[in-house]
Amino acid sequence: MKDLRLPSLAAALGFIITGLYALDPGPYQMAAFIFFAQPLFLIALLSYGYRVWKDLRGRDVL
Amino acid sequence: MEVSDVFRIFAGVFSVVGLGLCLWLARVDFSKIPAERKVHLGVATLTGLAFFKLLALAALFAVPVVALGAANYHTIEGVHGVESCNRCHVMTPMVTDMRDPGSETLAARHFKNGWIPKDQCFQCHSDYGLAGDLRAKMEGYRHLARYTTGTYEEPIKFRGVFHNDNCLKCHAGTPKFVAVPSHATVQGRLAENSLSCLNCHGRAHPTREQRTPGHPDYTRLIGGDE
Repeated sequence: MKDLRLPSLAAALGFIITGLYALDPGPYQMAAFIFFAQPLFLIALLSYGYRVWKDLRGRDVL
Repeated sequence: MEVSDVFRIFAGVFSVVGLGLCLWLARVDFSKIPAERKVHLGVATLTGLAFFKLLALAALFAVPVVALGAANYHTIEGVHGVESCNRCHVMTPMVTDMRDPGSETLAARHFKNGWIPKDQCFQCHSDYGLAGDLRAKMEGYRHLARYTTGTYEEPIKFRGVFHNDNCLKCHAGTPKFVAVPSHATVQGRLAENSLSCLNCHGRAHPTREQRTPGHPDYTRLIGGDE
């Protein structure tokens, strides 16, 4: 696991959208949260999971 | 303060925390963390690598799960209030009419007589809630996408099926309901939704014509001049 820049930035963007939605839950913020923030978190989680899996494989844990 | 407001605050706080952690994590190069680096957490001392791995787990898994859970709770349960519906201006004619003491639509009669004390829209359209069916939620997402992308035309048209359960959950079995002989006659059709309550009880909201831009009632309904 060298760095986690991609998942971190994807999640950071997701947190910004989620925070804006929590601050003012209007229709545009809700759409951004549902259609952009949640997929961004999914990308972050998958990317992070892949790196963890690769790291564990590299150490012969898996 | 409503429960959904508490969840909204949770979502906001965890979003700020998560954002901070992610921005910190994005700057970490795991291959350059010195092996001898120790991080003291008060109750435990960790190696630098272990600390940042735990930080990654928090920033990319634990905190997002909490923030998403809280925000989604608000998305599903916190939007029951009339003002939530009224935030999309295509819903304003329904809300204006409902609050109009001179209107005789079903929604207005329920409102002015206080038959539904709160969350009046949701009480009759409860399919969208946590206990509602998946199709209603998908319809809700479609409405949201169409509204926010401006890919709709006024007057909007209800494409789904309005389930009589939304009426019957309050009315079925009440003395006034039972006292009407025709209710017993059509009981089966009401239950299977092949006959709408609205067939006999009139419209729930303003007509499509009234909600069409250019109609004399449109400006009043959309919240303009009375």
